[in-house]
Amino acid sequence: MSMLNNITAGQPKKLLKPVLYTSLANLAGIVPFALLVESARLIFQPFVVPGTQLDTVRLWWICGLMAVSFLLMYLCEIPAYRTQYRGAYNTAAEGRAGLAEHLRKLPLGYLQKRDPGDLANMMMGDFALVEHGMSHLVPQMIGALIMPIIALAGLSFLDWRMAVAMFAAFPVAVLLVLLTTVLQRKLGEGHMKAKLDATNRLQEYLNGIRVIKAYNVSGARFVRLEKAFRELMRHSIRFEGSLGPIILSAFALIRAGLTIMVIVGVNLLLGGELELLTFVAFLLIGTRIFDPLSAALVNYATFRYFEQAGERIVKLQAEPVMAGNRQPPSGYAVEFNKVAFGYNEQLTLKNVSLNIPEGSFTALVGPSGSGKSTLLRLIARFYDPTEGSVKLGGEDARLMDPEALLRKMSMVFQDVYLFQDTIGNNLRFGKSDATQQEIEAAAKEACCHEFIMKLPQGYDTMVGEGGNTLSGGEKQRISIARALLKNAPILLLDEATASLDPHNELEIQRAVDRLVQGRTVIVIAHRLKTIRNADQIIVLNEGSIAEQGKHDDLLAQQGLYARLWTIQQQAGSWNLIS
Amino acid sequence: MRKKTGLARLLELAGERKGLLWLAAVLSTISALLMLVPYASVYFIVKELLEHAANPALADGGYMIRYGSWALVALLGSLAAMYGGGMASHIAAFRILYGLRMKLATHIGKLPLGWLNGTSTGSVKKTLDSNVEKVEGFVAHQLPDFVQVVVTTIVMISVMFYLNVWLALVCLVPIMLGITAQVMMMRSVDKGNSIKHYYDYLQQMNGSAVQYVRGMPAIKVFGQTVHSFRKFHADMVSYREYCVKYTDQFQNGFLLFKVLLSSFAAFALPVGVFLLDRNPGSTAFAAVLLFFLIMSPGLTAPMFKMMSIASSLRDINEGVKRIDLILAEEPIKETGTAQSPSSYSVKYEKVSFSYQAETSATRKEALSNISFEAKQGKVTALVGPSGSGKSTVASLLPRFWDIQQGKISIGNMDIREMQTHDLMETVAFVFQDSFLFYDTLYNNIAVGNPDASRGQVYAAAQAAQCHAFIDKLPLGYDTLIGEGGVYLSGGEEQRVAVARAILKNAPVLVLDEATAFADPENEYEMQLALKELMKGKTVIVIAHRLSSIVDADQIIVLNNGEIAEKGTHEALIAKGRLYSQMWEAYSNASQWQMGRGGVSV
Repeated sequence: MSMLNNITAGQPKKLLKPVLYTSLANLAGIVPFALLVESARLIFQPFVVPGTQLDTVRLWWICGLMAVSFLLMYLCEIPAYRTQYRGAYNTAAEGRAGLAEHLRKLPLGYLQKRDPGDLANMMMGDFALVEHGMSHLVPQMIGALIMPIIALAGLSFLDWRMAVAMFAAFPVAVLLVLLTTVLQRKLGEGHMKAKLDATNRLQEYLNGIRVIKAYNVSGARFVRLEKAFRELMRHSIRFEGSLGPIILSAFALIRAGLTIMVIVGVNLLLGGELELLTFVAFLLIGTRIFDPLSAALVNYATFRYFEQAGERIVKLQAEPVMAGNRQPPSGYAVEFNKVAFGYNEQLTLKNVSLNIPEGSFTALVGPSGSGKSTLLRLIARFYDPTEGSVKLGGEDARLMDPEALLRKMSMVFQDVYLFQDTIGNNLRFGKSDATQQEIEAAAKEACCHEFIMKLPQGYDTMVGEGGNTLSGGEKQRISIARALLKNAPILLLDEATASLDPHNELEIQRAVDRLVQGRTVIVIAHRLKTIRNADQIIVLNEGSIAEQGKHDDLLAQQGLYARLWTIQQQAGSWNLIS
Repeated sequence: MRKKTGLARLLELAGERKGLLWLAAVLSTISALLMLVPYASVYFIVKELLEHAANPALADGGYMIRYGSWALVALLGSLAAMYGGGMASHIAAFRILYGLRMKLATHIGKLPLGWLNGTSTGSVKKTLDSNVEKVEGFVAHQLPDFVQVVVTTIVMISVMFYLNVWLALVCLVPIMLGITAQVMMMRSVDKGNSIKHYYDYLQQMNGSAVQYVRGMPAIKVFGQTVHSFRKFHADMVSYREYCVKYTDQFQNGFLLFKVLLSSFAAFALPVGVFLLDRNPGSTAFAAVLLFFLIMSPGLTAPMFKMMSIASSLRDINEGVKRIDLILAEEPIKETGTAQSPSSYSVKYEKVSFSYQAETSATRKEALSNISFEAKQGKVTALVGPSGSGKSTVASLLPRFWDIQQGKISIGNMDIREMQTHDLMETVAFVFQDSFLFYDTLYNNIAVGNPDASRGQVYAAAQAAQCHAFIDKLPLGYDTLIGEGGVYLSGGEEQRVAVARAILKNAPVLVLDEATAFADPENEYEMQLALKELMKGKTVIVIAHRLSSIVDADQIIVLNNGEIAEKGTHEALIAKGRLYSQMWEAYSNASQWQMGRGGVSV
């Protein structure tokens, strides 16, 4: 049962229709065969009892019935075909949409732990396998078993000894396949892993192509990719090579039924215990009965392999999504109450308590790795704290619907990801129903309009994947424009550290100034000068709050902030050359 | 010469694997012929029974059991041959696959960088994964099947004609009808270029899935539900719609084919009854008729295989086309002889360049008539507004793109006449976005010089101010970066990149916004690291923080792809043109206080 659950990515009910229709089509396929056996009997008749006439009337009837039965087959195949194919695409599309939706609800912490290539592959590749499994493999496997089962039942009435002989080896074949399941699975896993590894290395290769070229590592670094490809080849060959004998042995066992039956039949016949015509009927059936059985067996092996793809999806779907369904309150003060948090066993934040009044301007400073970004991400509920609580407007953020919470926040971070879409649509992310005027207005405020108009198709210019056709400063301004469009009461800002050309920098500064007006602002500042007049400066060090207060107070304390300030004053006028 | 397509091209790509493929074909043919033996055995037994129908006790039991055993022996032989053939074809297929993947990856490595920028990595990956894998299916299964089908069909039909011409002819009818139905359907479907569309939709969907996953943070922040995440969803829907439409087109033709080819007996029987009726009591003819009834289904399987071969042939055609599309991209030209310059001043002479058509669709950036010399051991700074072409100028040096006009030389040697390997040995880079491999920190630094000793790697890390933070990591230098390992901050990543460059110790150094991600503490350390790196090198530096390059030996100011002015800081300030404006903006920007204060405009 768990197998069925896996292969359908958690929706075994979806199998019902395709299995039903495929079985029906297979049943219809038995009719002409039964007629064929009957016709053989009629042809034999005059030879068995010499002197009797060939029953041509009945034979002509059979010919007629055969023609009709093919029409019946055709009609029964139609729904089977439609459910097999159409059903598959529908299921996969729904499944993909569902998985995409689920992914979005998972904490970003989980997503960042996973390789994006892996996840994308799951959504595409694994679902393609599931799609095929559901629409073809399972229905065909079950459908294929229908004929042998009915035949076995019917033949037992005719002569049970012969029926037993025919299927004697079948249980052994099944046993063989089941016993080797573990081996198959292990090989399958190894193969899948090799495949995934090859995909990841390829992604790395494509992403790092510039460095790879610059460092001439077509040798050393290429080896990683080459090795992954080679491993994949090795695993693939091993997989085929070791599964083959199992399947083929099972094949041989199943089909050995014919020979066993001949031996038993001849002995019974010569001993006068078996009617000649019965023997002939068994022989005829014996030529056909094993085909569907072997097909089912091959399907089963493939099925087990595909099942792993479904299992991965089921597992991912079982990952707990972020809880909470309340609407956020109308107040926007942020409060940390003894918050501890770690991405893994190691804590990134320890015992952090702080208060950010609504409408205030708070700056987070500290050395890299001190936990500034993590703190910001906890406010946005990208993660939930390991200990303590984060409150918004006096209520625990964990109780709130994560999406509703995010609607109250705008974020301008350093790594701006733009989608391969038009600039206009990328801006529209901020407000999906924005008019062109609104978009242009926001773009103007964020100092984007000018450079956008210089692009070949203005707002309709396509941006490359990840935004790689725009400069860093341009991407940042676009993200500011998005935030302006979104117009949320809380603003989380990670001040750009990437140095921009002076003109760009001034423009961004102007845009940021417009953006911070009238909001609760929490900013990660890298250049301390820029946040001198913040209402509150929080100095983080190794995951804890080292100091907090206003600029002048902090300077007077002569602590970490004062030290950072001095270093920056020196480096501010830093010079690469002197 | 006409370009080969489809199967022919595939075999060409397959190269030297033909021996294995022939072996596979021969073995699978043997297997298929042996697979017919059980049918024949049954026929001989039935014939024996027919001859002794009146008195079964007279039938030759030993004879019948012998045939029964032959069936088993032939079956075992057939399976063994099937295994051998399957392994031969699979080994060939996986080798071809490996070869193809490597060929594509190597080729991509030789292409100008612009090519990857203009293409989504998702679709490139898809070509290397799925399209290449389709090749596997085809080579491993369909190719040997094809030989096998042809042989089986010919043998079967010959025997049929030998036994009875009329019955044989009648058996050809469903074959002809089935094939006709199939061909007509394919024709009508192919008119719409369906298979190409199918691939296009699939490729689109894959591309947007990758984006969806990578862009997840943005999606979360902007609260776009999956349904409103228009692109991905739309691509998914159009893929599905297309598939449904596509398969609907095949429905009737396919089913007709399927039913017709299962109905040999239905065609043979009436003719058989007619002939038998005129010739009653003929054991011989009755036996022949039974042969047709027993054996003709043996033709069904090969016919089905034939059809799946035909349909995957179209599939493979498109897959190969997509592979060829990548292979057809013009790589950067490689010169034959290895030569290294003896001195290291870099000279740009009347260099003009513009991106190729496909990238210019998104952005037009070009350089015209760029001439300057970066003297050996001196620092040359490139400054200018964004989009002025600074980075482009720098990226021409490692031949990430080739220039259209003019010449770039190192120590008077045209870089186009140097082998890529030597050129890259001569020039080192530190980019704005440092890329780290999913590997240990140690290996990430050692990339700079694979022959370096452990001590040298540590020294480089020390010089780049990396040592302290690396020591704090759980596994030190053996800590894995990314993909489930540790993630470094931007500043740390950059210092690792600097360590790499220090280890590489190339005489020419290009710093493209190398200080980009430095934060307060890092900034100082980064400065130390870079100073260490720059010692005694020919340096070309792109910098926005103008204060950092005031002492450069030469500052080149770019604007709209041209050199606007050049000189030392003092000289340029004195000119009072673009540079001095930039300097003023820079000074203003560095006085900025966020929010309340407002900007002094």
